[in-house]
Amino acid sequence: MTATLLLATIVKILIMVMFVLNLAAILTWADRRQSSMIQDRVGPNRAVIKIFGKELRLAGLLHPLADGLKFFTKEDFMPPNADRLLFTLAPIMAMGMVFTLVATIPFGDTICLHQFRLFPDFWHVHTGPHGELLDGVERWGTCAADSRNGYAPLELVVAPLGVGILYVFAMSGQGIIGAAIAGWSSDNKFSLMGALRAASQMVSYEVTLGMSLVGAMMIYGTVRLDDMVRWQQEHAWGIFVQPLAFFLFFAAAVAENKRIPFDLPEAESELVSGYFTEYAGMKFGMFYFAEYAEVVTGSMLLVTIFLGGWALPFFHRDGLLVQFGDTTLLRVAIPHVFVTLLGVLAFFGKVIVVCWIQVFVRWSLPRFRYDQLMKLGWRLLLPASLANILVTGVVWLAVDKAGSAASDGLRIAADVTQAVVAMAMTYLIGRGVVGMFGTVTHERNIIGTSAGIAARRGGTKTEPMQA
Amino acid sequence: MQSPWLSVLSFLVVSTLVGLGMIGAGRVLRVRARHDSPLKVRPYECGEEPTGPAWMQFHPRYYLVALVFVLFDVEAVFLLPWGVVQRELGPAGVGAALVFVAVLMLGWLYAVRKEALKWQ
Amino acid sequence: MVALGTIYFWVCALTAVAGALSVVVSKNPIRGAMGLLLLILSVAGLFLALHAQFLAAIQLIVYAGAIVVLFLFVIMLLGPAASTPNDRRGLFARAFGGGLAALCGAAAIALVASAGLAAKHPFPLADVDPSFGGVDAFGSALFADALVPFEVSGALLMVAVVGALAVARGRQGVASLTRSEREVARAATPEPDTAGGAGVYSHEIHAHEEHSS
Repeated sequence: MTATLLLATIVKILIMVMFVLNLAAILTWADRRQSSMIQDRVGPNRAVIKIFGKELRLAGLLHPLADGLKFFTKEDFMPPNADRLLFTLAPIMAMGMVFTLVATIPFGDTICLHQFRLFPDFWHVHTGPHGELLDGVERWGTCAADSRNGYAPLELVVAPLGVGILYVFAMSGQGIIGAAIAGWSSDNKFSLMGALRAASQMVSYEVTLGMSLVGAMMIYGTVRLDDMVRWQQEHAWGIFVQPLAFFLFFAAAVAENKRIPFDLPEAESELVSGYFTEYAGMKFGMFYFAEYAEVVTGSMLLVTIFLGGWALPFFHRDGLLVQFGDTTLLRVAIPHVFVTLLGVLAFFGKVIVVCWIQVFVRWSLPRFRYDQLMKLGWRLLLPASLANILVTGVVWLAVDKAGSAASDGLRIAADVTQAVVAMAMTYLIGRGVVGMFGTVTHERNIIGTSAGIAARRGGTKTEPMQA
Repeated sequence: MQSPWLSVLSFLVVSTLVGLGMIGAGRVLRVRARHDSPLKVRPYECGEEPTGPAWMQFHPRYYLVALVFVLFDVEAVFLLPWGVVQRELGPAGVGAALVFVAVLMLGWLYAVRKEALKWQ
Repeated sequence: MVALGTIYFWVCALTAVAGALSVVVSKNPIRGAMGLLLLILSVAGLFLALHAQFLAAIQLIVYAGAIVVLFLFVIMLLGPAASTPNDRRGLFARAFGGGLAALCGAAAIALVASAGLAAKHPFPLADVDPSFGGVDAFGSALFADALVPFEVSGALLMVAVVGALAVARGRQGVASLTRSEREVARAATPEPDTAGGAGVYSHEIHAHEEHSS
C-alpha cells in the first residue's frame, strides 16, 4: 500500500515536472511565433534538420531544441570578481522555487479506486439503487461514501497541503532573493541595478497578489487549492464571483514574472539585460527557462483559483448533471474515472490557453516607466484589492441576512454562469477545430494588422524611407 | 507520518537535482576557450571601462518600499486566516478586520503623503 | 519512522546553527543575509515537524520573503561601507556580545537537558488532528481569543513604519518633501527639466547632488 502511494507520488511529480518543462520549452517557440505574427513577419524558421535531402523546419519548432543544445555547449564564464558561490546558487534558486511551487497545485479530482485496482472498477458507475446519480455525496472528490467498500482515494495533486495558497506565497517570495543575489554577485553595475529594480518591483506586486486572493478566499472559505476548485465546480467559477480580484491577480502575476509590460528589471534599452547580464551558457539558460516556467505556474494558479481548475461546467463526480436551481434538465451517468481524466485534460488545456494569453499580452503592450510601475502597484492596485475585500465582506453579510430567496436566486445565477462557460468553451473549441482544417491565406493574416489597416486607408507610402 | 510535506520535500529534492544536473551537464559539455582573454570575462557595461567595484550605495527609496512592503505583507498574512474564518465570525469579524485595515491604511496614507512610494 | 524524524531534526537543527554562525562570522553582509535565510528555512522545517504548518508558512512568507529582502535593501542602502572593519575597533563590545550570547545559549541547553524535555516529548510529535496548526485553527484562535492583541499589533506595525519613514526621510532632496513644501520649493526655483523619462537609471543611484526641482 505504501509502495503504491510512493509510486503514485513519483508519477505525479513526473507529470507536473514534465508538463512544466515541456510547456516552457514550447512557450519559447510560441513567444517567437506570436511575436512574428503580431509584427507581420515570417517567424522563427532558421533551425533546420535535413533528412534524406529534405529540409524539415516544422514552423520553427526546432528552435527550442537548438536553444537547449546551445545552452549546454556554450562557453560558461563569470566575471573575475564575482561571488562564485552565490553566482552559481542564484539560477538554481530561481528555477528550483518555480518548480517547487507546482507541488501543491491540483491537476485533477480525487480518483476513488478499489484498492488501486484499475479493473473492473474502471467501468463502474457510482449510482444509487434505482440507477440515479449519487448527488448526495457531501463533497466532490471525497471517497467517504465508498470507504467501507474499500475504495481508496488517489488525490491528483503532489502535496495536498493544509496551508495551500500560503505555500505558494512562501515559494514565490524566495524568487525575489534569487534575482537579488544574481545581480549582486555579478559584479556588474547594470546587474545590480536590475536586481534592485526586480526586488522592489516584485515586493510591490506581491502585496496585491496576496490581497486579491483574500477576497476569493472569503468566498471559497478555504485556503486549500483543491477545495477552491470543488467550490467552483459546485457553484460558479471564480472569475464570476471575484472579477476584480481576477484582474488584480493577473496583473500582479505578470508583474511577478517580470515580463513586458513589467520587464523593467531587464529593460534592454536601459540595463543591457538586467540582473542576468553576466550569465552565460546553461546558467543563463536556467534564468531564461525559469521565466517561461513562471508563466506556466502563474497560469496554473490563475486557472486553479479563478477559472475552475479541472472543473468542467455541469460535469460532476459521477457524470453529467445539467441543473438550474432545482430543475434538472439532463442526467447522464459516466464512469467516475472518465470524468476525472477529462478534468485533467481540461486543466492542462486551460493552462495552455492562459499561457497563450500571457504571450499575447507580452507582444501587445509597451513597457511601463519605473515611476508608473510603482504608482500602479502602490496607489491603484493595492487600494483596489483592499476595496475588493471590503465589498466582498459587506455583500457576504447582506446575502447572509437576506434569507433563502436571495440564496436561491444566487444558486440559479451560478448555474447560469456554468451554462455561459459551457457555451463559450464549445464555441471556442469549435472555432479552433474549424480554423485548424480551414485554409490559411497570407492575406487573411494581414487583415488585422497595421499593414492591413494602412492598405485600407489608401495604401502605404511608396517613397524610399528616410534613414 | 503520511504527511504531504514529505512529497513537498521530495519535490524540492527533484527540482534542486534538475538545477544541479543542468549546471553539471553544462560544465561537462561546454566549450572551453583555447586562448582566454581578460577582456572577455570583464563585466559588460556597454563597452565602458568598469570603474571600481559594482557595489555602490543606492537610494534610500528602495529601502522605503521594502519597509512599506513589510507592513502590508504582515497585513496580508493576518487577513488570509481572517478570510477563511470570516463567515463564522459574522459582522463582528468584518468589523475587526475593518479596524485593522484602517489602522494600517493610516501608515499607507503617511507613506503616500510623504511620497515615499513615488519615483521621480 | 522515529529514526527518520530524528535525522530530520538533526539536519534542520545543524543547518540552523550553521546559518546563524555564518550570519555572525561572515565578513560579507550579503553572505550574512544568505546565512539568515538558511537559518529561517531550517527553523521553518522544525516548525513543520511540530505540525505547526501555518507558522512554518508564515515564517517563510514574512521572514524569508520580507525581512531578508528588507535586510538586502538596507545593505544596498549602506553600500560597501557596511562590511565589517578588519581592525580592532569595538573588540571589547564584540567579545562581550559574543560571550553573553554563548552564555545564554549554554543556559538554554542546560535548562532543556535538566528538565528532560526530550524524553517527555518524543520528536517528531505523535500524529495530531490534521486541522491542528492549520489556517482555520489559527484564524479561529486569533479572532476569538486574541482580538485585542491583534488590533494592537496592527497599530504597532503602523507606528513602526511611520517612524522608519520619518527617520529615513532625512534630507534627500525633493523626494522627501511633502507636497506643500515642494510647492514652496517650486515657486523659488525655475521649472524642472522633465523631458525624457526613460533614462531613469542614472537617478536611481543615490548621489549626493540635489535633484533639479
